[in-house]
Amino acid sequence: MRLKRIYVLGASMVALALITTACGSTGGPASTKATITIASFNFSESIILAHIYGDALKNKGYTINYKDKLGNREIVEPALESGQIDLYAGYAATDLTFVEGKQGVTPDAGTDGQANVQKLNAHLNSKGIKALDPSPAVDQNAFAVTKAEADQNHLTKLSDVSSVASNWTLGGPPECPTRPFCQPGLAQTYGLHFKAFKSLDAGGPLTYAAFKSGAINIGLVFSSDGGISANDLVVLDDDKHLQQADNIVPLIRSSVANTEVTSLLNSVDAKLNTKDLTALNKSADVDKQDPTDLAATWVKNHGF
Amino acid sequence: MNFIGQVARWFLDGAHWQGDGGIPHRLTEHVAMSGASLLVAAAIALPIGVVLGHFGRGGNLAINISNVGRAIPSFALLVIAVELVGIGAVPAFVALVALGIPPIVTNSYIGMREVDADVREAARGMGMRSRMVLWRVELPIALPFIMAGLRTSAVNIVATATLAALVAWGGLGRFIVDGLGQQNYPMLYAGAILVGLLSLIVEFSLAGLQRLATPAGLRTSKIIRDPDSKTATNLAAA
Repeated sequence: MRLKRIYVLGASMVALALITTACGSTGGPASTKATITIASFNFSESIILAHIYGDALKNKGYTINYKDKLGNREIVEPALESGQIDLYAGYAATDLTFVEGKQGVTPDAGTDGQANVQKLNAHLNSKGIKALDPSPAVDQNAFAVTKAEADQNHLTKLSDVSSVASNWTLGGPPECPTRPFCQPGLAQTYGLHFKAFKSLDAGGPLTYAAFKSGAINIGLVFSSDGGISANDLVVLDDDKHLQQADNIVPLIRSSVANTEVTSLLNSVDAKLNTKDLTALNKSADVDKQDPTDLAATWVKNHGF
Repeated sequence: MNFIGQVARWFLDGAHWQGDGGIPHRLTEHVAMSGASLLVAAAIALPIGVVLGHFGRGGNLAINISNVGRAIPSFALLVIAVELVGIGAVPAFVALVALGIPPIVTNSYIGMREVDADVREAARGMGMRSRMVLWRVELPIALPFIMAGLRTSAVNIVATATLAALVAWGGLGRFIVDGLGQQNYPMLYAGAILVGLLSLIVEFSLAGLQRLATPAGLRTSKIIRDPDSKTATNLAAA
């Protein structure tokens, strides 16, 4: 019995030694490319984006560490400032508002993604952080209607709604009647005055249930939410720019953002769009596919 | 003082007393929902508790099942019901009925078992049949307990119907949920005050009913309180 144990021990030692040398030999001659630690927030869109960036970088020979679902912005952003992580997929307006809040500056995120990113850089460059180019993909407040209703009334943008608003019920979170991005904004910017308002949630299950039962005609959703296509809804174009621009934007430590990394991430971002992101989110949240697999497929299909 | 003033001003604002979002409409919704839930809960729970108590069988099981029912959070039930039947009045109704059943089952069962065995024997000795014993002897004696169960249930339902606002239904909870969302704290507190007042009114009026329901011969100066679930478990285990 004791002899057997010794054999097992010996075998494991040999195995361990083999693995160690194997690792050493692959690590040795490789280039001096940096190791990049990428974090994500605790929702699937963020994990997908982190792995899209990570897989694309890995294909260029970088070593990637993932810190998936690290937490909310209150945890992830300080981790980037302190250098515990090197990169995460941020959101232009939300990250700007967060950083300004931390620095005690009056929040001034606007409806232009590019401008939001410039402001982000003004606040973050001194901390050794860069915001790269904003992606056309956005995850922000949006208003959706059912596909049937959109087809019937020929609706593609929010200003189209004015002809039917007076007969419609608007659904949104309880704070909607008092927030500029919601009911008051729709009234002021678009001149939309709805028949009634139904207090639901911010683009969550209640909103989708209300669409399904016909309790609302138009509702607040998040523009890239997977539930939009799963529930046969269409997002109306914010043609008069009511919403703050929450474009996806990589936030990265300047120390790892060399020319190759910067141009790679910028070209990945340029290829991302809200439609793809919505489809990826649907696959992850509704069809329960693995976000890392979805990211790998996207990277492969787009040739990164 | 300033805040109390704001709440008072909220109540005095005429706009809060009219329309679909006004106090009268929300109060009506709340009372109608609570009343309907209590009626259905009683229609389900009373026969179970009374019959099991009358025959003295299966009580252990009934009380344990009903205690498990008490352990399920109403909010969880509400969310599950929304998943199954969508938003609106139905999920709130389902959750409130489920909430209302356990105290009624437990109390009516205990009320029936508490009837003195000698009294029951005497009734049989006088030639009463089982059904007559039930209607003429056991039920009148058990009535204070049964009423206590209904009262507990009613107050639970009225207080919990507030949660329905979280799944997009109306009622007085609307003021609380919307007040929180809009950071309109006077509205939130006004809603809380309204629900509190309604619960107290229900509590006191049912206590009065319970007193009236108590047979003259059994009346004491004290009203029987709800024998809590602990007592129920002990009795069931005994």
